[in-house]
Amino acid sequence: MATVVIPAILRDLCGGAPSLEVEGATLDALLVELDRRCPGFYGRVVEDGRLRPELAFALDGEVVRLGLHDVVQPAAEITIVPAIGGG
Amino acid sequence: MTTVDRPAYSVIGTRPIRPDGVEKVTGKARFGPDVHFPNLLHAKILRSPHAHARILSIDTSGAENYPGVLAVATNHDLPTAADKIEELGESAVNLREVSDNVLASRKVLYRGHAVAAVAAANPHVAELALQQIKVEYEVLPPVLDVQDAMRDDAPLLDETRRTKTLMTREIGDRPSNIATYNRFEGGDVEAAFAEADVVVEREFTTSMVHQGYIEPHSTTAMWNADGTLTVWTSTQGAFAARGVIAQVLRIPLSNVRVVPMEIGGGFGGKTPVYLDPVAAILSKKTGRPVKATMSRADVFEATGPTSGTYIKLKAAASGSKLTAVQATLCYEAGAFPGSSVGAGCMTMLAPYVIENFQLHAYDVVVNKPKVAAYRAPGAPVAAFAIESVVDELAQRQGIDPLEFRRENASRQGTKMVTGMPFARIGNEEVMEAAISSPHYRSPIEGPNRGRGVASGYWFNGGMQSSVVVAVNNDGTVNLIEGSTDIGGSRASLSMQLAETLAIPYDSIRAAVADTDSIGHNDVTGGSRTTFATGLAIYEAGMDIRRQMVARAAKLWGVSDEDVVYEAGTLRCLKDSTKELTFSEMAAQSARTGGPIAGKASLLARGAGAAFGTHIVDVEVDPDTGKVTILRYTAVQDVGTAIHPSYVEGQIQGGVVQGIGWALNEEYYYDDNGRMLNASFLDYRMPTALDVPSIDTIMVEVPNPGHPYGVRGVGEVPIVPPLAAVANAIADATGHRFTALPISPRRVVEELNGLV
Repeated sequence: MATVVIPAILRDLCGGAPSLEVEGATLDALLVELDRRCPGFYGRVVEDGRLRPELAFALDGEVVRLGLHDVVQPAAEITIVPAIGGG
Repeated sequence: MTTVDRPAYSVIGTRPIRPDGVEKVTGKARFGPDVHFPNLLHAKILRSPHAHARILSIDTSGAENYPGVLAVATNHDLPTAADKIEELGESAVNLREVSDNVLASRKVLYRGHAVAAVAAANPHVAELALQQIKVEYEVLPPVLDVQDAMRDDAPLLDETRRTKTLMTREIGDRPSNIATYNRFEGGDVEAAFAEADVVVEREFTTSMVHQGYIEPHSTTAMWNADGTLTVWTSTQGAFAARGVIAQVLRIPLSNVRVVPMEIGGGFGGKTPVYLDPVAAILSKKTGRPVKATMSRADVFEATGPTSGTYIKLKAAASGSKLTAVQATLCYEAGAFPGSSVGAGCMTMLAPYVIENFQLHAYDVVVNKPKVAAYRAPGAPVAAFAIESVVDELAQRQGIDPLEFRRENASRQGTKMVTGMPFARIGNEEVMEAAISSPHYRSPIEGPNRGRGVASGYWFNGGMQSSVVVAVNNDGTVNLIEGSTDIGGSRASLSMQLAETLAIPYDSIRAAVADTDSIGHNDVTGGSRTTFATGLAIYEAGMDIRRQMVARAAKLWGVSDEDVVYEAGTLRCLKDSTKELTFSEMAAQSARTGGPIAGKASLLARGAGAAFGTHIVDVEVDPDTGKVTILRYTAVQDVGTAIHPSYVEGQIQGGVVQGIGWALNEEYYYDDNGRMLNASFLDYRMPTALDVPSIDTIMVEVPNPGHPYGVRGVGEVPIVPPLAAVANAIADATGHRFTALPISPRRVVEELNGLV
C-alpha cells in the first residue's frame, strides 16, 4: 500500500490523520480510495480529469508532474503540494 | 573541491572553452534586438501613468491617422480569454490575466501597464503617435505594500476576488486582495514553545527587487500569409512562450514557430510573455514583421520582479536543538495572483530537522507589476527570516552558529514540511566543509567588522526535454537541443555527450533549435537543464552506442552480444583483431543502414536537491552606513561539477545578486505608485568594484538520480546571502536588521536610534 501524506490543510477531511496507507494501482485509483475514506478529498484536488494545475504531486520526495493514470508503486510515499516554478 | 565517491571521468570535470564563447565576445551572436528585416516595422507601447485606474475609454483614432503609422492595437484585438487557470508548459497561468497583462482591458493595475501599441516604419514616429492616443481614466487609490493590501479597508485591485484556500477550495466571504491562503503544519508548536529554553520572535520585511538582466525584452513577430506566425524572441523557454502566445491569440501550437535568440540574462524573468502577442497582432494587421523592444524603464516598471514580502517568524530551541518554528509568510504577487510564497514555505525549513512547525502562506495582489520567477523564487527571503532567527537562537544558547546548524542539519530521510523525505542530499557535508574551511577557521579582527553565516536550499527541477544527436560520417556530431543556453548549458550538455560516447568534446557542435525543429523542451529554469536535458543526452548517446554495436555486429557477422563499446571503440569479443573507432564506424554509416542518429524525449525524474552554506565577513562604516564585503566563501553541494568553471560562475553570480538584494536593491515608489528608481543609475546593483572575489567550495555528493550525479547548481547560491550578510552586520554592530535592503541610510538610522 502507498503512503499518502495528507496536506495539513486537508487533514480535517481525514479525521486529523497526517498520513494514511492507501491501496491503489494508479494515482486516480489511490485518490478515489482516499475519497472513500475522506469524503470530499478527490473533488478538492482533481478538476477536469487531472490534478488541479495550481497543484503538483510529490512522489518519494520529488515534486514531479504526473497524470492520474500514472502507476503508483506499493511502497511509494506521495503527497500534494502547491505547484512551483524555478528561475 | 571535496569529492565524494566520484568515478574517473575523462571529459566531465574538465574546463573546455564554451562553444558559444567566440561569437559572444566578438559581437557576432544574435540577441533579440539584433533581428532585422528590410520591411521591418517598429512597435511602441503606450503604458499607464497611473498605478491603479479604471479605463473608461481609449480613442486610438489620432494615432491611426498619424502619418507613418500602419497599425494600432488594444486589448480589443486580443481574443477573449477564459478566466481559468491552465497548465501551459511547466507553469499554471490564468489566460485572462496573461491577456490583461499583455494589454490592459478594464483596469490598469500598475504604472507601466500596457494599454495600447502602435506600429510604424520609424520607431520615433511610433513613439510620437502614442501621444495621439487618448485614454480616459478614473484614477483609483493604489495599494503598494503587502501588509496594507491585506487590510480590510484596502483599495481592491479586483472587486470580485475572494481569498481562495489553495487545497480546500474554500472561498472567502468578502472581496480581498489576498488571492490564496495555504498552510503547512506538523507536530505541536505550542507545546514545543512552552517547553523551549529560548524563543525568538521577529518580523521581517523585504522590498521588491528585479533580476536585473542586461538585455531588455525584445521580440520580432511575422504573421505569415498562410496563417502561421514566427516569433524571434529573448526567452528562457521557446516552447513555454509558444504555448502562451498560441493560447492568448487562439491559434494552434503548430502554427507558431518561436525562435529563441541568444539571451542576455534571464534569471527567471524571461519566462513570462509580454511583447510577443502584441507584435504578432500588429504584424497580422500590417502583413509586415514587427519588432518591439523594451527600454530599461519598461523592464523595471512592466516586467516581473520578485515579491516584496512580510514574514513574521517565531522559533524555539532547547539546548542545541531547534524545536519549533511558526511563521506567517505574506508575498506580494503584483497585479495578478501567483507569487512564490508556496515555494518560500517549502524551502524555509529544509536545511533543518524540525518536528514542530506551522507555516501560513498568503499570496497578495498589489498595484505593482506581476511578479515573475527570480532565481530560487521565494526561497531567499524565507531564508533571510529563518536564518536570522536561527543565528539569534545559536547566539542565545552560546553555540557557534555553524555548529548549531550542523547539529540540526537535515539529511537523507529527513521529512520536509510537505511530509516527504529527502533523497540523498549533501547538506551535512556542506556544513562540515564550511566549518573546516580556511575562511571559517581564520579570525575576524578589527573594529566594526563581523562574520555571518547562513544556509539555504532549492528543490531543483526535472521536467521535459528532447534532444537529437546526429552522427556525421567524419565522426563529428551535431547535438540539436531546445534548451535555451542561459548559463553555459551548450558546454555542459556537450561534455555529457562526449563522456557518454567517449569522443572528443571538440567534435560536438551544439545548437539550440526553434520550436519547429525539435520536440518539446520546458524552460531553462529551475536549475533543470544540465540535469534533465543532460539525462536526455545520455539516453540519446546510449541509443547511438546501441546502434553502432548492432552495425558492427552486422559487419563482423556476429551477434550484438559479441560486440562491446569501450572508450569510443567498438570491439569484437570473438576476434580481438576486429575493432572500429567511433569515427571509423561513422564513416561506414551509409553502407550499414543509413544515417546514425540518437534521440530522446523524456520527463526527467530524480532531480537532486541543492544545499549551500555561505560565510561572509563585512565591515560597517558607522558614519556613512556603508557595508563593505571583505571576504565571501560559498560552499555548495554541486552533485558532480560537469564544467567546474561554470559551476563556480553560477555560484559567484548568485552570491553577487544576493549581496545586492541584501544591501542596496529595492523598488522605490512614491505614494502614487510611481517607481522612482527605474534605471540602472538609481537601481543600485553591485558592480565588480563592490564585491571581492567570491571563493567557492564545491562539495560533490553525486545525485543518484542521474548517471553522472548531476544536481542543478544555478539557483541555490542566491538563497543564503541575504541572511549571511545580515548576520555579519549583526555581528559587526550588535544591531539585528530585519528589513531589506540594509542600505547606508537604514544602517545610520539604526545605529543612531533614528528609526
